[in-house]
Amino acid sequence: MAGLPRRIIKETQRLMAEPVPGISASPDESNARYFHVLVQGPKDSPYEGGMFKLELFLPEEYPMSAPKVRFMTKIYHPNIDKLGRICLDILKDKWSPALQIRTVLLSIQALLSAPNPDDPLANDVAEKWKVDEKAAIEEARNWTRKYASAQ
Amino acid sequence: MANINKRYAISGLESTSRRYKEDNKMSVEMKSQDSDNDSEYDQSDDHMEDEDFDYASYYDNDTDDLDIDKPKKSDDPEYFEFKLLQVEDVERLLNEEEATAGGQHTCPVCFRSMPLRDFFSLVCGHLFCRECWDVFFQIQIQQGITTGIECMGNECKILAPEDFICNILSKPELRDKYTQLSFTDHVKCPKCHVCIEKNGGCNHMQCTKCKYNFCWMCLGDWKTHGSEYYECSRYKENPNIVNESAHAQAREALKKYLFYFERYENHSKSLQLEEQTLMKITTRIQEKVMNQTGTWIDWQYLLDAAALLRKCRYTLQYTYPYAYYMEKGARKQLFEYQQAQLEAEVENLSWKVERAEITDRGAPNAVKRFPRSIKQYWVTNSLQMVIDFLVYL
Repeated sequence: MAGLPRRIIKETQRLMAEPVPGISASPDESNARYFHVLVQGPKDSPYEGGMFKLELFLPEEYPMSAPKVRFMTKIYHPNIDKLGRICLDILKDKWSPALQIRTVLLSIQALLSAPNPDDPLANDVAEKWKVDEKAAIEEARNWTRKYASAQ
Repeated sequence: MANINKRYAISGLESTSRRYKEDNKMSVEMKSQDSDNDSEYDQSDDHMEDEDFDYASYYDNDTDDLDIDKPKKSDDPEYFEFKLLQVEDVERLLNEEEATAGGQHTCPVCFRSMPLRDFFSLVCGHLFCRECWDVFFQIQIQQGITTGIECMGNECKILAPEDFICNILSKPELRDKYTQLSFTDHVKCPKCHVCIEKNGGCNHMQCTKCKYNFCWMCLGDWKTHGSEYYECSRYKENPNIVNESAHAQAREALKKYLFYFERYENHSKSLQLEEQTLMKITTRIQEKVMNQTGTWIDWQYLLDAAALLRKCRYTLQYTYPYAYYMEKGARKQLFEYQQAQLEAEVENLSWKVERAEITDRGAPNAVKRFPRSIKQYWVTNSLQMVIDFLVYL
């Protein structure tokens, strides 16, 4: 692999120096393109109080192609599947090189606040969300307590 | 003299129209003066002398003496609303420009600081450095996206025009690919709309991006072409055509001609591409033999298959003119059935030859079996068709 592009170095520096509130991202010791991410469940969402672990990888073509992000912590969300894969437009076709790790993580946090069951990835969850939103939110709360409670 | 006056009058007009912008109330007052001034001016114009004319007062009073011919602002296609800059705005802008022109600008993609002259933007004004644009276009084109490349800015829908892309692209081979894909022979994948070019003789296409299998000729799903009933080669005539108008009949006739011609033309192009396939096969055989995967003899069947493929393509090519001139009836039905069978088998063989990765040692292998079955077709039916065709001519 060629040396780390200036962009990645700069972004990493900035992420460490001025972290986004409620989000922490730090590069892996052995691979500067691999980040360990912790996202706090947003306030007034069923994920409140949870601490979600994610992994983020910057592919060779970054920033021309989107970073790969995945939830490591189990989460009950219509746009996040069992494997932790995320259905988010800016991670797919709406990616723009002007976006950054910071903006991606903010979008993911926003997705936690505003689930979109009309464009589902986890079909069973989305179905539940549509049929009985209250129960679905309660389930999400349970999962947050069970899998994502901060120690 | 009249000329000079007019020029003054025009510049006076400009200054007043600016004042209009600044202060609407004032302009209303001026308007009320306008009518008086116009008549005054008309009178004075004839017997006006240089010495007598008071330029200063003329300016102050005069406004729209050319207004009669002047169309309304909204009629003027080049008219646009503008705002006058205040002194401090101008100073700020000038300072800013100095700061960026003299200093450095940071590219939002690669985060490097460079002089502003290395930056480019589309009409939307999103500035990125030349290198980032270049890499961005390269990646898009490599993925087969050539139409609808958008600005790199987040949620910016402005499309990059061809000359912009060609100017920035540094790799000539990609520029060629870009122009080729944009302007010449390619189709768009019916599923994901990526541009696909034909790099072999086979009509069975597979999208590199979404792996969708489709037919080069009709863009339909390949599933309907494969095994049983190959419909793509048959022209479905409108059974009711006799009752249609002459106009519709002519259009139908043209459609029918184009249908057959396209397929004829396609096979002749494919035939040329098969030549390339043959070359690829030769190099591949050499590679394989070098890598100890099979012996030279094991791979000879590919060359046989390619040679047969060429013959079949040639035959198929000429079945289309024949079918075009054939009269409707049982004979044509039979002919078309055989043609369709041959077509399906040829595409099947073509697909397999281009992708053959194994030799036939030990295990039964479809690729090797195919030439034989086609050979039967070719000998029994196709050759007969061509001979028939020649006799027919």
